[in-house]
Amino acid sequence: MTWLTWRQFRAQAVAAAAALAAFAVLLAVTGPHLASLYAASGITGCHSGSCGQLASTFLSQVAATSIDPAVYLLGIAGVVLAPAVIGIFWGAPLIAREFEAGTFRLAWTQSITRARWLAVKLGLTGLAALAVTEALSLIQAWWAAPIGQAARLATDSNFPLGMSPFSLLAFDAHGITPLGYAAFAFTLGVTTGVFLRRAIPAMALTLVIFAAVQVAIPLWIRPHLFPPDHTTATLSSFTALQTRIGPNGAFAFAVQFLPTQPGAWILSSGAVNAAGQLVSTSPAACKSLALSSSPTWTQCLASHGIRIGVTYQPTSRYWAIQGTETAIYVALALALAGYCFWRLGLRRLS
Amino acid sequence: MTAVLEARGLGKRYRRLWALADCTLSIPAGHVVGLVGPNGAGKTTLLNLAAGLLAPTTGTIEVLGGPPPASPVQLARVGFLAQDAPVYAGLPVADHLRLGAHLNPAWDEELARGRIDRLDLDPGQKAGKLSGGQRAQLALTLAVAKRPELLLLDEPVASLDPLARREFLQDLMEAVAEQGLSVVLSSHLVADLERVCDYLIVLVGSRVRVAGPVEELLATHHLLSGPRRDPATLPAGQQVISASHTDRQTTLLVRTSDKVLDPAWMVSEVGLEDLVLAYMSQAAGRSRRNHLEVQK
Amino acid sequence: MVIEFHLDARSGVAPYLQLIHQVRQALRLGLLREGDQLPTVKDVVAGLAINPNTVLKAYRELEYEGLVAARPGIGTFVTGTLAGSSLAAHGPLRRDLQRWLAKARRAGLDDESIEALFISTFRSAAEEDIA
Repeated sequence: MTWLTWRQFRAQAVAAAAALAAFAVLLAVTGPHLASLYAASGITGCHSGSCGQLASTFLSQVAATSIDPAVYLLGIAGVVLAPAVIGIFWGAPLIAREFEAGTFRLAWTQSITRARWLAVKLGLTGLAALAVTEALSLIQAWWAAPIGQAARLATDSNFPLGMSPFSLLAFDAHGITPLGYAAFAFTLGVTTGVFLRRAIPAMALTLVIFAAVQVAIPLWIRPHLFPPDHTTATLSSFTALQTRIGPNGAFAFAVQFLPTQPGAWILSSGAVNAAGQLVSTSPAACKSLALSSSPTWTQCLASHGIRIGVTYQPTSRYWAIQGTETAIYVALALALAGYCFWRLGLRRLS
Repeated sequence: MTAVLEARGLGKRYRRLWALADCTLSIPAGHVVGLVGPNGAGKTTLLNLAAGLLAPTTGTIEVLGGPPPASPVQLARVGFLAQDAPVYAGLPVADHLRLGAHLNPAWDEELARGRIDRLDLDPGQKAGKLSGGQRAQLALTLAVAKRPELLLLDEPVASLDPLARREFLQDLMEAVAEQGLSVVLSSHLVADLERVCDYLIVLVGSRVRVAGPVEELLATHHLLSGPRRDPATLPAGQQVISASHTDRQTTLLVRTSDKVLDPAWMVSEVGLEDLVLAYMSQAAGRSRRNHLEVQK
Repeated sequence: MVIEFHLDARSGVAPYLQLIHQVRQALRLGLLREGDQLPTVKDVVAGLAINPNTVLKAYRELEYEGLVAARPGIGTFVTGTLAGSSLAAHGPLRRDLQRWLAKARRAGLDDESIEALFISTFRSAAEEDIA
């Protein structure tokens, strides 16, 4: 069965190997340049005070080159899209094709049980899916290591996509989450194939469901996996304060970075009073200054005890969140696999 | 002699429709069994149940002593050739043989290679490019080379031209002679089965109408023709399968184990094709009657 | 192979009987001699696409009639002859038949009627033998 699984998978394996090789070559060619930029930036061995500034400078340099931001985006896109591609092109046709062509009647009347047939197909192809995704992730992580280092230290940046390791695409592309996504996408593809028994509809359904899950989880589940931390800080400790001013003294503040923890994940931020409650209206005394949103206005607010309150996940929770999210995806993958075994045991005629 | 296939009250339903109903059979070993009936009668359903590709809705089925597919051991003892001989289109002939070798412990490589050579199949050719007859032969090779005790074939010659059909049956009979196989093969044409079958099952409208050794069936079915008469007046031992009347004459096809002694009848033998047609028309007549009754 | 079988699917005669007839005919004509091997069951079914049991039945009946003998693992071989027993009766029987044919023609029967008369009498006589 191992041989047959390999033989049926051969063409897809070759395509994957070619894509992986192209990916690796592209990143290998541009990697050393990035590394030398980093070495020249002086970030390694910097003192805690100057690190933030050096990091920001480095990142701006990188952003200014024409190739590196593009390759970075391409690399991240590759890792993020790989699970979807695998789910659609490896997972969906795996069993659906056998139903469409009627070859399941040939396969299930050889001398192996249906359970063994499915286990080998699912297991070997699934392992290949995990391996390819992990390879892409590792290559990209190796290439982007300098950028990642700088991102942890930078206090501001105009590098595309934001730099926190928690930022949407970075979180999805690094660590162990890609493995979870690959496992889930693959088993989702196989399950839709088992359910619909036709490859093309299964591919479409896999795409729709996987996309929906990949949007829903970071949006609604990931922020709440662990109770967030809260902190407040003076208005002046933030160098980049996003301000919105409305009529009648209404206003709102937002920040992108915690000065004390540049890599933290900001879930929400806003102006709070001394008691810690959200403030959305300027105190009467400061209203007249609001129109200019000048430093005098912020000083006025500060003198009334208004500070910035931030709800965030600290960088120390990175691996905990990674691990928990991956565990969720793996659990989903196992549940789907279990469903496939159960469903195929019912011996239906298509 | 143990039965290769034993069914008791076997039934299979899809949503509202019974594809097979109330099927009770006991097929002895060592025969080539013909399963004949019109399209949609339930032949494919019965064979797929026997191969373990379907689960029964009611009743039981046992193949070679156990419900299919009980275990790899039992799977190895039964060979199956599905309708239209499905093969992996992208895999060449030689890789199909490797498939057989890897997935069947009792695989006979010499037998498989010999058949492929004799059939003049190119081992390097992709199976999707083979003709219908060649695909059927490849699928038969796969089924036979695993050295089963029972071979189930679902309409194996339906889409083959006459030459391919003859060659397929020649090959099949040779394998039966050589390996002592029991075979169940289905067809909607009696002519396909007449030469090779020595046991017949007639399946019409999802039910078994008659089953038994061909010799016995031919010996116990007779065509009676004589003056016009009501079939109900016949003695109890004579079961009327089909009847047709003109003003003056009645022709009946009856089943009886006794000799027909009434001198009014001219008794003649029945060919297998006419026998099957009589059961098919009997089933059709009954269902037509039911249809009319419902309409009232 | 010494002889080859053929099958007339439309003749109404059971296949195993056709095989028996062909063996007897071959023996009569001297095509098959004592010690010759009959085609193996495998070869016969591979050529004719018929059920092996049919061939086995024919060979068994020939063995019962003392014309052949089966040697397990090797094959079925001719042990008896028909030539001798029939030749002696041929001459007188042939003359009787010629006389009957002349009578039939004098009675006004044409070729087809003679053939039909012969076959129906032959068949009903055979049935009476069985009954």
